[in-house]
Amino acid sequence: MSTLTDPTRPAFTRPRAGYGPHGARVNREEALMRDVRPVGVWLGLACTVAVLVGGCGKGEGNAGGGGGSSTQGGTLKVGAALSLTGSLAKEGRLTKLGYQFCQDKVNGGDGVQAGDKTYKLAITYKDDKSEPDTAAQLVDQFNDSGNKLILGPYGSPSTEAASAVIERNGQVMVDSSGADNAIFDKGYRNTFAVLSPATSYLAAIVDAISENASPKPKTVAIISADDGFSKTAAKGGADEAKNQGMQVVAMEEVPEHTTNVSSALTKIRPKKPDLVLVSAHVEEGIAAVKQSKELGVNPKGFGETVAPPTPDFAKALGKNAEGVVGSTQWTADSKGQDKVFGTAKEYAEGFKQRFGETAEYHSAEAAAACLALVMGVEKAGSTDPAKVRDAIAGLDTESFFGPIKFDDTGKNADKPMSAIQIQNGEPVTIYPSDQAQAKLQWPAG
Amino acid sequence: MTSASSATAPVGLRAVGPRQLIAGALVLGGLVVLVLLPQYFLLSSEQRTLAGVFMFVALAQGWNLIGGFAGYPSFGNVVFFGLGGYTTAILMAKSGVPFWVALPISAVVGVVFAVLVGLPVLRLRGHYFAIATLGVAEGMREVVVNLDGLTGGNSGITVPAVGAEAVTSYPGNTGFYFYFLGLALLATAVVWQVSRSRFGYGLRAIAQDEEAAAAAGINTTRLKVAAFALAGLLTALAGSIYAFQQVTIYPARLFSVDITVLMVVMAVIGGSGTVIGPVIGAVALQFLSEWLRTHYTDLHTFIFGAIIVVAVVLLPMGIVSFTRESIAQRRISLLDTVRAYRL
Amino acid sequence: MTQFLQATVNGLLQGGLLALVAVGFSLVWGVMNIVNLAHGAFVLIGSYIAWKLQTGADIAPLLGMVVAAAALFAGGYVIQRYLINLVVNAPIWMTLLLTFGLSLVLVNGLVLLFTGDFRSIHTSYGSDSLAIGDIRIPYGRLIAFVLAVGFTLALVWFMDRTRLGLAIKATGMDRGAARLMGVTVRRVYGLTFAIAAGLAGAAGAIYGTVDTFSPANAGIFTLQSFVIAVLGGLGNMWGALAGGLLLGVVQAWSGQYLGGTLINAVAFAVLVTVLVIRPAGLLGKPYYEARVEV
Repeated sequence: MSTLTDPTRPAFTRPRAGYGPHGARVNREEALMRDVRPVGVWLGLACTVAVLVGGCGKGEGNAGGGGGSSTQGGTLKVGAALSLTGSLAKEGRLTKLGYQFCQDKVNGGDGVQAGDKTYKLAITYKDDKSEPDTAAQLVDQFNDSGNKLILGPYGSPSTEAASAVIERNGQVMVDSSGADNAIFDKGYRNTFAVLSPATSYLAAIVDAISENASPKPKTVAIISADDGFSKTAAKGGADEAKNQGMQVVAMEEVPEHTTNVSSALTKIRPKKPDLVLVSAHVEEGIAAVKQSKELGVNPKGFGETVAPPTPDFAKALGKNAEGVVGSTQWTADSKGQDKVFGTAKEYAEGFKQRFGETAEYHSAEAAAACLALVMGVEKAGSTDPAKVRDAIAGLDTESFFGPIKFDDTGKNADKPMSAIQIQNGEPVTIYPSDQAQAKLQWPAG
Repeated sequence: MTSASSATAPVGLRAVGPRQLIAGALVLGGLVVLVLLPQYFLLSSEQRTLAGVFMFVALAQGWNLIGGFAGYPSFGNVVFFGLGGYTTAILMAKSGVPFWVALPISAVVGVVFAVLVGLPVLRLRGHYFAIATLGVAEGMREVVVNLDGLTGGNSGITVPAVGAEAVTSYPGNTGFYFYFLGLALLATAVVWQVSRSRFGYGLRAIAQDEEAAAAAGINTTRLKVAAFALAGLLTALAGSIYAFQQVTIYPARLFSVDITVLMVVMAVIGGSGTVIGPVIGAVALQFLSEWLRTHYTDLHTFIFGAIIVVAVVLLPMGIVSFTRESIAQRRISLLDTVRAYRL
Repeated sequence: MTQFLQATVNGLLQGGLLALVAVGFSLVWGVMNIVNLAHGAFVLIGSYIAWKLQTGADIAPLLGMVVAAAALFAGGYVIQRYLINLVVNAPIWMTLLLTFGLSLVLVNGLVLLFTGDFRSIHTSYGSDSLAIGDIRIPYGRLIAFVLAVGFTLALVWFMDRTRLGLAIKATGMDRGAARLMGVTVRRVYGLTFAIAAGLAGAAGAIYGTVDTFSPANAGIFTLQSFVIAVLGGLGNMWGALAGGLLLGVVQAWSGQYLGGTLINAVAFAVLVTVLVIRPAGLLGKPYYEARVEV
């Protein structure tokens, strides 16, 4: 089979001068439209008809062996199975931006220096349709096409499915978004995550508030979505709240992806908690804030794991978003720097210039995963997966994303989580105190 | 209970003519090729891709029994897949039961569930039956999500497959290639046997006109439930092997309505109610969707949808019947069916 | 007691909206015997039209709703006339597959056009609410509820009191007889589908003002429509309204008293139970079951 989608083809053009503040979105849509190749569509249809009539046989259908282009000594082939369609398409796209930005910065700079050779980074993307089994299958395909080094898919289920295959094939994967601790309890040696683990997501918010709020909240109610990541994070938050001397007055679960949390809110309302914590994704998070206002649940403060730092959150909620505290793996104020991206601020500026949209944490996680992989190859002085695996395991460095140092299970355990608060419609860093750009407003909102 | 094997062929032994010999030789040759492929021609990942194709052959054949032969369009067959997968995963992970013991238990669970659900639900017809089965599958997913002590809920459940905890050693991509190949052959053989048995003719009669079938002395309830149970058996077997192959499984995927829809699409586009149709449909659609995914990273689902629309309009009776008609009438006209079905 | 009343209010408000989402689905199923799996996508397209008009051209959501309804009315007519009509007499799973393919195209088209980001439509009343004692009634949801119920009642009136509405009902009961009475079935089918799509568009626009949406929501809308249509009885407009309210309240109560993660399980349990015990639906009349196809 011929080559796959050319990995070096820039899928996103630079914003044109004079586009003004909305240039970003216009530009993105234009880029997306560019991917609609009408000729290709007709070819696809033509082949279908061929398949249906009985031709267009197995040779073409089973294109698994494609992979990247030829194995020139100068190319470092890396595979990434991402959720580009399906229910996680939004996050998958952001992850892809991070990987693309990393590839641009590495190749625009010194390339990947391993031993006496210089490699160009070439990441191949495949779509896992937001299905864990497909992600695992794609990792197998990457293995056969010579991509031993893998960048993680989006989300804990896909990452966990992929990591089992990685282990069997002796590949190496740096995970950018699978934070559920369960992935790292299995004894896998070849999967590394640049993230702080799930247990720290809600705990960071509890710490940020109990350190800075006065009066300190005494009672807390926790609402959690029922997926693995959210439940792990909720448990971590509840434990930390008890450590900080708060009383957990309610723990409610809601179905994943729901936009109706009114039952949970109606149940916690009579308990009048000082603080409401939500461990969920964007849609449940937006619904929780909006419906608490509607139902008259008025705690002194609101904390939510991953929703508040995403731009959708403040956009969808308007003034109701004010004062909501959120936790994030990365902000533009994170400490540390590296030779590829510079500081967090430089990363954010470069990202905005490249894609025309504000840098956020999904893409930063992805860029950091890619960076860890590149650093591993350089440290190993080789592209051999076993050597790269050992080099990554021994990394102890800092980056625009914070420290990168993996524990025995492959978690980036010492990396601090940051907390932000929505102030005047923008997420502002409030924790840890050495990165804080503003003080926590309390009572919030 | 009537089952495929116990029913006798009505025609008795037929004379073996040259056509049967040629067909037999072709099938045998194809089998030899399929068995030799992994060792000599296929990369590991290609074996995995083909294992997926075989799995869908089995699933589409399962649907074919209830949807194609009996004419009951189940939109919830995935429930057997999920139950089979979770039975195997729970037995292997929680009780340390070997895979080869968990597999038949999963099949039994599939059959029992099919009978229990089938008795009330198979009284419904048409869309009502479709929706009821869909409701059963969606509801069962919610049950599995909520029994998280047993099933791990949305965090998934992991079969011990490597290291000292593994009760059955993991057979790798080549192993699963053969498991799923075996299952696909079993499913096709079952459907073949059904198609030429009294049982199969009974099911076809039900699909044509259930009242008339009952009047002709067919115990329609028993036949329908038997077909549903057989579909449950094949689908649960597929789910069981799938759970072992995937190592970690999640309810959202194992009870996904998308899997049901794929079964239906494959069986129908290939030719429902025929023996070979679901095989053709599964092979064609799996390869097509693989091909689209590698070539149109962002657009493939969009194109796949458009292709389903076009295929339904042009080939509503499936590839097999269409080819048969074309040969019989010595002309190819895609618009004949449109003329037949439009308003 | 406050808890119970608040849960009931929540459920009724949500249920009214669900009724409008489902009423078109029920109409098409009842009259044309087609289960439209693209119904959820129609609802979402309505949301996106109203959202785009507001963010792009600053058009008020209420006006956006009218535009969305009109656009989907026209689109629905075209889709029925030139696509679904081609297989209207084929076995039922054909139309299921056709509309499933259609929904893949529409939903992924929305992802390509608007990305998978979450959107919502802002309104001037935001999340203010009316307080009656300890019970809160959010203005946004109240307005949405009134609109939704209003549309549903208007549809009931249309079906019972106009010649076209009666023609639609007659066609649903016995196509052959309707034809003999001078009804042009093709046109009636086109209009039925157009009305259903238009109502879906309006529902989507209203939904966008009270909740967030993204292309991934399409499947949930379709599933809810299934449950409501079956609960109420196919093609029965009063039934759709009752089914929607019932589903909303049952979900709110089960969330309150059984645990939040069980609300979907309860909804499907109700669905299967109703189907098995009373397939014609709570308000359905038996003739919808025993319709004649000619």
